[in-house]
Amino acid sequence: MNIRRAAAVARRIFMDLKNDKRTVALIVLVPIGFMVAFGFVFQGDVKDVRVLVVNNDNGGGFGNKSISDRVIANIDKTTLKLENATNKSEAIAAVQNGKAYAVIVFPDNLTESVSGTAQSPPPVANTTANETATPTANVTNQAVARQGQVNIQVLTDNSNIDVSRAVTTAVNAAVLKTANETGQTPRLSVDTSNAIYGQNARFIDFFCPGLACLAIWNITTLLTLEAFVGERTSGTLPRLLASPLRESELVAGYSIAYGTLGIIQSALLLAVGVLLFNITIEGNIALAFTTIALLAIVSQALGILLSSVARSEREAGQFAPFLILVAVLLSGIIWPLEAIPEWLRPASYLIPTTYAVEAMRSVMMRGWGLSMIWIDIAALLVFASAFLVLAVIMLKRRA
Amino acid sequence: MEKDYVETIGLEKRFGDARAVENFTLRVKKGEIFGLLGPNAAGKTTLIKILCSLLKPSAGEAYVLGKRVPNADIALLVGYMPQELALYTNISVHENVAFYGAIFGLTKNRIDEREQKLLRLINLEDQRDTIVHNLSGGTQRRVSLACALLHDPPLLFLDEPTVGVDPQLRESFWNYFEGLKGGGATVFITTHYMDEARRCDRVGFMHAGKLIAEGSPHGLLDLTQTDSLEDAFLVLSQEARR
Repeated sequence: MNIRRAAAVARRIFMDLKNDKRTVALIVLVPIGFMVAFGFVFQGDVKDVRVLVVNNDNGGGFGNKSISDRVIANIDKTTLKLENATNKSEAIAAVQNGKAYAVIVFPDNLTESVSGTAQSPPPVANTTANETATPTANVTNQAVARQGQVNIQVLTDNSNIDVSRAVTTAVNAAVLKTANETGQTPRLSVDTSNAIYGQNARFIDFFCPGLACLAIWNITTLLTLEAFVGERTSGTLPRLLASPLRESELVAGYSIAYGTLGIIQSALLLAVGVLLFNITIEGNIALAFTTIALLAIVSQALGILLSSVARSEREAGQFAPFLILVAVLLSGIIWPLEAIPEWLRPASYLIPTTYAVEAMRSVMMRGWGLSMIWIDIAALLVFASAFLVLAVIMLKRRA
Repeated sequence: MEKDYVETIGLEKRFGDARAVENFTLRVKKGEIFGLLGPNAAGKTTLIKILCSLLKPSAGEAYVLGKRVPNADIALLVGYMPQELALYTNISVHENVAFYGAIFGLTKNRIDEREQKLLRLINLEDQRDTIVHNLSGGTQRRVSLACALLHDPPLLFLDEPTVGVDPQLRESFWNYFEGLKGGGATVFITTHYMDEARRCDRVGFMHAGKLIAEGSPHGLLDLTQTDSLEDAFLVLSQEARR
């Protein structure tokens, strides 16, 4: 391997970019655009869900405030937009007409029951799917009321799982807070306030490492694919293959260039993430960059491999949806691998982004070091070596 | 006896059922300008690609500079100008030259020296820093030729180098080829232009993958009793079809 020749290939790619504003824009703007677009639009947290409150609570006890008022005061108002309804049937009709997502019904004896019976258990949010609105989801979240227990009924439209889950979580949290305030703490409770990793993590913190991998995987593979198809159709590849440049030097030159570009792109993406969305980076940033550079090298080698089956740059572009789909569906970018059906999970382990996403997330959110993510790094190295060797073999093959 | 720079023996190249090159036997000596003539799809480019180690023969043998091809060791001694442009169009003339120079292991000084000489030859001294896609098609061909000549190879394979080049410049190309020949280089060239074929030491007529005749331009005219190589080619290709 002659490093000078490989460096000449890498230098030529950068010189090319210097005059190719469209590609530079793609390289710079796509990662920034990805981060900005997904960061603002796709935060994953549900907000402003319209919920109707039927408050039949007669009050009494607990100073000036009834239990229902306390629960209402404790409900997270960013998540739920509460409105009063006069009676239950009217409120249910509103859900059935699509005007609200849920109904919270406070029973008339709520405060009385809670304050009057010192030993009685605290109120419980009894979440029931609105069977008329979504007949298929009528058992979801149904809590079984125990004897003597006071129930706050929550009827939800489960046609949107994320929304109904947000309602349930908000009401449960408010009930728990109210129980604490009024000394009604249950004997048995679950405390999730202390996380081992990702304390106060938001969806964007979880999503950012995956987004970085998705951007690099997609852009790098497509750019190399297009560039290499261009080398074939313009005749530069035959000229190079007839020159002293070895196939391995050509592939190495591409790796140097696109590995570097991958690092620049992820730096941009992470910079936007930190500056605009204050994303978490717990671990060593250099390790995150190493991971992303490896993914870029894997992706560019894949691009070279795919170029052998694309006859034109137009055909090269047809790989884009396939690349995005495979990565998004199977490599844990949006949902965890555990959410993928078991029979399909082995496919996830055949995709390089799976390892890159896991490693990036572990470094950024858990602060893990190389000793913890070495398996992912090793997997990426295996992919990189295999794809690079295959790319060289493919170029060496003389038909 | 002069050494053979190119030799093929019963060479054959098949793509599926199609035979692009068939039973092709030819010798090109050192210091010759050899012109391969033939219509489109005659197999000229396939033959050059085999000689430049880009394709593997299906049968027969091919030797370049005494080495059986495909062979990576002769790359430094061979200059190849493909039919396609084979330039990076987003970078300047100089950047293309510098890139190919680095690939052929030339030092910076040597690249500058050769670049100066070649740009003068192709009359492009004032376009050194122009981006290639801003040049006309013919001018781009001139840059492509300069890149093939950069490392001053003793053997040149030029696949239709003068397509799209104006007559004046074609003349200067040919003067340069003759100059190269004078310096001992061998030029293997494919062309459509019969007037160019006249300037070759020897020409070969290729038809449907086969070498139907070869010899000096005068020899071929005598053989076919014709006045032009075009007519000579027509006579010989008709005979080949029979």
